[in-house]
Amino acid sequence: MDDAASSIAAAPLPTRKTLRARSSLPYQVMRFVAFNIRMLRMVRKGHH
Amino acid sequence: MARVVILGAGISGHTAALHLKRRLKRGHEVIVVSPNANWNWIPSNIWVGVGRMTTDQVTFPLRPVYRRKGIDFRQALAVAIRPEGDGDHESGSVDIVYTDPTRLGEEERLTYDFLINATGPKLNFAATPGLGPDGNSLSVCTAKHAEQTSAAFDSIVDALKRGERKTLVIGVGHGTCTCEGAAFEYTFNIEHELCERGVRELADVVYLTNEYDLGDFGVGGMSFAQNGFVTSSKMWTESLFRERKVRAILRAHVERVEPGVIHYEQLDGTKGTLAFDFAMLLPPFRGADLKAYDRQGEDISDQLFAPNGFLRVDADYAAKPFEEWTAEDWPSTYQSVGYSNLFGIGIAFAPPHPISRPRSTPDGTVISPAPPRTGMPSGVMGRVVAHSIADRIERGETAPLHKASMASMGAACIASAGAGMRTGTAAAMTMYPIVPNFTRFPESGRSLKETTGEIGLGAHWTKLLLHYLFLYKAKARPGWFLIPE
Ligand SMILES: Cc1cc2nc3c(=O)[nH]c(=O)nc-3n(C[C@H](O)[C@H](O)[C@H](O)COP(=O)(O)OP(=O)(O)OC[C@H]3O[C@@H](n4cnc5c(N)ncnc54)[C@H](O)[C@@H]3O)c2cc1C
Repeated sequence: MDDAASSIAAAPLPTRKTLRARSSLPYQVMRFVAFNIRMLRMVRKGHH
Repeated sequence: MARVVILGAGISGHTAALHLKRRLKRGHEVIVVSPNANWNWIPSNIWVGVGRMTTDQVTFPLRPVYRRKGIDFRQALAVAIRPEGDGDHESGSVDIVYTDPTRLGEEERLTYDFLINATGPKLNFAATPGLGPDGNSLSVCTAKHAEQTSAAFDSIVDALKRGERKTLVIGVGHGTCTCEGAAFEYTFNIEHELCERGVRELADVVYLTNEYDLGDFGVGGMSFAQNGFVTSSKMWTESLFRERKVRAILRAHVERVEPGVIHYEQLDGTKGTLAFDFAMLLPPFRGADLKAYDRQGEDISDQLFAPNGFLRVDADYAAKPFEEWTAEDWPSTYQSVGYSNLFGIGIAFAPPHPISRPRSTPDGTVISPAPPRTGMPSGVMGRVVAHSIADRIERGETAPLHKASMASMGAACIASAGAGMRTGTAAAMTMYPIVPNFTRFPESGRSLKETTGEIGLGAHWTKLLLHYLFLYKAKARPGWFLIPE
């Protein structure tokens, strides 16, 4: 196995709970809002 | 009354044109020179490339927008800048050649009081023999390329449905490419689409990159604070590759692309080949083919442009080792060194050096990403330079220039990893600043609070939202200026 393959093979796999959270509608609506706020903060920083 | 000429109607040039027209009083002229009649929201070309969107959904004609806004649009290619004017004109001028079908091939010399070079990248497929749609691989850099690539992908899916095994390679086609984020996005959109169409099992998906590690993205990777630990974009990205069963070939420079075979060299000097049925490889970028002449007509291109064809601006271009790179090397006003009324923004300005650590093979082949200049900073540069020019027109030569260095600017990058309102997903990243500043943030060069990454459906919605918001803004619809860059 080359470097890249062994590094990928050793990477952490998301648990079922994490995978569910990534596609759960109510949780993702919250993340959507949170991310957009964070992005706006980033934009504000870019404006100085 | 002043005349501002803007070369290029991409993300940065179009943003600059709209802001300038909004700021300047009647009577001042804003002229945009760009070879294509349409504007393209390039990030969504990824979705055109998997058949999720059409060209019409990611482009629109510029003429009606410019007519409505009172901006003079010349569908033409700029070929030369004369910053000192010529025998007939005191002020600077640009030579343009019309691509407008009604004036095709006609040449004109446009004088200017201020000039913005926003010509973006030249897609340098020629750097690698056999690379690109005219050779043996595909691209998603333009909407037209993405449409061709989508058709090729459909044929692969048909073959997979017939039970044939196929290898799909996505990545970068040269050791010095940038835009790894786009290649990453397209890889996972392809993988997602193969799953959606029920043919993933027989497909081998390979990501081929010049990055030293996964998650480098040309910005030297990122560190995130997550669940009480500092984790790296490397681990985070590798996890996605493992979960989605995508193979990776790292630290690679593509030497040539033959029909069905990629020949590449890796950082340790080893050479390899990779057989493929479908290959989307991004080209390296260089500056547009622009010449520069002084008043006497002598070629001064070497003074104005860096060897890679990008415009030299207020950066520190002195060659120095990676350990001595600092945030201050990066430009903040985008003003050309020799000419105070000339600016270079977006991909068109010459960066002082890469962001990722430079590396080369024992034989000297450079294999490390060039620094990305993504949509957000490109738009900000457009706005900032528009304000600098408007101030100088209204208040005179001494008005201070506005600043926006990539070393003090944050960026949000949303890498789509599959489309679909219910099934889509994306990796959403924010980083602050884009160029690491180890004086301010000794730990990782960036703020651990503001540098974040997460994966999920919500990030896909954000990506889609940005698609609609930026098209709305670019069409200069009511309140467009309230949407930040
Ligand atoms: C496939 C892909 C996906 C991407 N995805 C993302 C993403 O998700 N998020 C993100 O932030 N960024 C993304 N980017 C990067 C983003 O597209 C660029 O940062 C952005 O387009 C740069 O803006 P620009 O104005 O410098 O160049 P461009 O948008 O390329 O515009 C350059 C303009 O100049 C014109 N031009 C060229 N030569 C001349 C000439 N000689 N005379 C006059 N005009 C000329 C061109 O026709 C064009 O209109 C992606 C890029 C690619 C290729």
